[in-house]
Amino acid sequence: MATPALARERLVALREAVARIENADGPGLSGRKSRWQWDAQEAARNDPPATDGLDAIFAAGLPACGLVEIRNAQTRDMGAATGFTLAVAAMRQEIAKTGATLWISQAMALSEAGMPHAPGLKNYGLDPARFFLARPRTVQDALWMAEAALGISAFSAVILEIRGNPACFGLTESRRLQLRAKANGSLLLLLRQAGEEEASSALCRLRVEPAPSGERPLPDGSTLAGSLGNPAFLVTPEKSKIADAVGTVLEWNTDDRRFRRTETCPEPHPESHPAAQQPQRQPEDTLPLVSLSSRRQGGPGPLGTVVALQRTP
Amino acid sequence: MRISRLDREAERIGLRKGHGVTEARAICPSLDILPAEPAADRALLEALADWCDRYTPLVALDGDDGLYLDITGCAHLHGGERALLDGLLSSLFALGVEARGAISSSPGLSWAVSHFGEGGVIDADVAEAALAPLPTPALRLPKDTAEMLGRVGLKAIGDLLPLPRAPLARRFGPLLLLRLDQALGLEDEPISPRLPVPVLSAERRLFDPVSSADDILALSAHLAGSLKEGLERRGEGGRLFALLLFRVDGRVFRIHAATSAPQRDPDRITLLFRERLAAVHDGLDAGYGFEIVRLCVLTAEPFETVQEGFADGTGDSCSLSAFAERIVARFGPDSLLAVTLAESHLPERAARLAPILDRLESERAVGRNGAAAVTATACMDRPLRLFTPPEPVETMAGVPEDAPKSFRWRRSLYRIARTEGPERIAAEWWIDGENQPSRDYFRVEDEAGRRFWLFREGIYGEQPHLPRWFIHGILA
Repeated sequence: MATPALARERLVALREAVARIENADGPGLSGRKSRWQWDAQEAARNDPPATDGLDAIFAAGLPACGLVEIRNAQTRDMGAATGFTLAVAAMRQEIAKTGATLWISQAMALSEAGMPHAPGLKNYGLDPARFFLARPRTVQDALWMAEAALGISAFSAVILEIRGNPACFGLTESRRLQLRAKANGSLLLLLRQAGEEEASSALCRLRVEPAPSGERPLPDGSTLAGSLGNPAFLVTPEKSKIADAVGTVLEWNTDDRRFRRTETCPEPHPESHPAAQQPQRQPEDTLPLVSLSSRRQGGPGPLGTVVALQRTP
Repeated sequence: MRISRLDREAERIGLRKGHGVTEARAICPSLDILPAEPAADRALLEALADWCDRYTPLVALDGDDGLYLDITGCAHLHGGERALLDGLLSSLFALGVEARGAISSSPGLSWAVSHFGEGGVIDADVAEAALAPLPTPALRLPKDTAEMLGRVGLKAIGDLLPLPRAPLARRFGPLLLLRLDQALGLEDEPISPRLPVPVLSAERRLFDPVSSADDILALSAHLAGSLKEGLERRGEGGRLFALLLFRVDGRVFRIHAATSAPQRDPDRITLLFRERLAAVHDGLDAGYGFEIVRLCVLTAEPFETVQEGFADGTGDSCSLSAFAERIVARFGPDSLLAVTLAESHLPERAARLAPILDRLESERAVGRNGAAAVTATACMDRPLRLFTPPEPVETMAGVPEDAPKSFRWRRSLYRIARTEGPERIAAEWWIDGENQPSRDYFRVEDEAGRRFWLFREGIYGEQPHLPRWFIHGILA
C-alpha cells in the first residue's frame, strides 16, 4: 500500500519541478497547499504588508513579468475586469515607484465599455499623470504597440485591451508577447473584453466577475449599513494548475492598494453605526391592519374535482 | 464649348483662346480636343512646384499656369543663371512639359519676358530695353485697362515709358504705374512662397538613384549628422523634420516627423523616419528610385542641455518620449493620449485625453515658467470608465426623487441592491447657460455586484418634461 503513495509523492514532486521550470510566477502546485491551509489570522500575523489576497491566485505573489490574461464573458461585467486589471497595474506602479501605465485599447472596446476616467483612476490608486492611452486602429497595430511598449522600462505595466477573440491574435502572437515580456522583465496584462476561453501562451488566464461588495468601514470599526464599500471581484483561475471552479472573492482596498480575501459574501454587520441609515426591518409583532373576518365563508371553493385514476402498470 | 487652352501648334494654324469648338473643327477637322480639368491642372502645377524645390525653397504659384522661383543666392549652386535656366527648361522638356522661362531682377519683368518675349536671362541694365518692345498686356494689367490703352494707340510698353506719369495715373489708375515700376524693378514686389522656408536643410544629389528603405535611412542618418552641426551652432534642436524624396520621374514625396522635445541626435531622427517609412510604406512608390534626398528642419526650438545623473533615473522619461515619438510617427498624433486635468466638477470636463506631444510640450513649458499644473480636485468616488456621451436608461423608482429600484440599460434589466447618493452636480452656467438642468448622481450596485454610475438630469416638477436618467460610467 505504501508504493502508490510514494509514487504519488514523486509525481507531485515532478509536477512541481515542471511547474517551476515553466512559470515560476504563475499559479502552480506549490500554491495549492498554502491555499488550502489558508488562515486569515495567521497570515496577517506573519507579515501584514506583504500579505494580500493575490496569494490565493499567484503562489509567489504578483508576477513581475510575463503575460497575464484577464477575461470576461460579458461587456456589462467589464467594470470588474477593468477594476481588477487596474488594481494590478496600481500595485505594479507602487512597486516600481516611477512607473507609468500604458493602456492600449481599440476604439471599439473603448466605445463599448467606456473611456478611462482620470479622477476615477486617481481614486483607485493610479497616478493620472503617469497614465497613457493608446488608440490603435487595428488589432495588428495594437500588437505592434504592445510589443514596442514592452521594451520600455518606463512602463511598470502595459494593459492591452482586446474585444472578443480576433483571429489575428492567436497562440503565436501571445507566445511572442509572452517571450518578449519575459525577456524585458515587464508585465503585460491582456484584458479580453467579452471574449471566449482560448488557448494562449499567457502565464495564466483569470476570469474576473463582479461580486457583491462589503460596506463602507467607519472609524470606530463598524460599517455603514447600506453603503457601497470597497469593490469586490470573483476571480476564477481558468488556465492554471489550480483546478478551482469556484473562484476566490477578492476585495480591493484603494487606500492600502492591497487585495484582501473575503471568504464569503459579506453580510450586513450586526453592530452598525448608530448614525447609519438602518435597513428596514419587519417590526417584532406584526398585526394585520384590518380586523380578522369572522363567521364568513372562507373564500371560493376549489374549481373542478380531483379524479383518482387507476395507474396502469 | 470653347477653347480654354491650346498649344503652340494650334496657335500656328490660327486657333485662338475663346474660339468655339465647332469653328475650330471647321478650321482643322483633325483637331484633338480634350475637356478642361482645372483640378488636374492645378495638381500638376503643384507637383511641378514641388519638383522645382530642388532649385530653391522659395517657389510661388502664379495663377494657374506659372511658377515664380526666387533664386537669390541659389544660382551659383547650379552653375550660374544661364545654366540654371537651361537645365530647368530642358529637364522640364524631358518630363514632357513645355515651358518658357526668364531670369531677371524683378518678378514683373520675368513674367513679361517669359510670356511675351523670347525668355532668357535679362540683366538689370538692359531691363528697359527688353521691356520696351513688349505689348501692354505684358504688364499683367486687367483686361479693360489693356483694351483702353490699345484704343488710345499705346500698343507697346515702350510707348508708355516716355509719357508723363501724372496724366497716365489720372487716366488709367494707379495700377498701371505700379505694374510698370514693378517690371522695371523700381517698386518691390514680394512673391508668396507656397511652403515655409526650412530653418536648416541638407541634401544629397545622387548619381545613381536609390530605392530601398535602408539606403534612404542611411542617407537620412548622414544628412541628420550634417544638420547636427548647424543646430548646435544655433543652440537649437528640431521639433519638426521633413524628409524630401525627389523621384527620378519628377514626383516629390514629403515625409514629416515630429518630436516630443527638441532633438538633434542623428540616431533618434533616423529612428523616427524608420517608423514613418514603415507607416507610409504603401504610399511611397519608389519607382525607378530617388535622385535627391533632402532633410529639412521645419521647426526648431532652443535645446536644453541636461546633465545626466549617475543613476539611470533620468533615462526613463527619455525612453518614454522616444516611445511616444515612435508611436506618433507611425500611427499619427492622435494615437497616443495623455490625461489633462481641469478644474471642473462635471466629469466630462474634469479630465481630457489630449495628444501626448502636446502634454510633453506643456510639461516642458511648466518646467520653464514654474507655473503650477492643475491637480485633480479631491472628489468622491468616480467611475473607472466613462461613457461619452452618457447612455440613456429606463428606470423605476419607488418615490420619484429617490434612487431607482431597477433600471434597463442596453436592453437588459438590472435590479439595484444598494445605492449611494445623490451627489448633485450643478451645470456650469458660465459655459452651458442658465437653463441647463443639474444632475443628481447615484452610485448603485446591482444584485450581482456590478456597479454603475447613474444620474438624473433635472429635478421633478421644475422642468416641463420629466427628468431623464442616464448611465454615465461603470465603477469597479
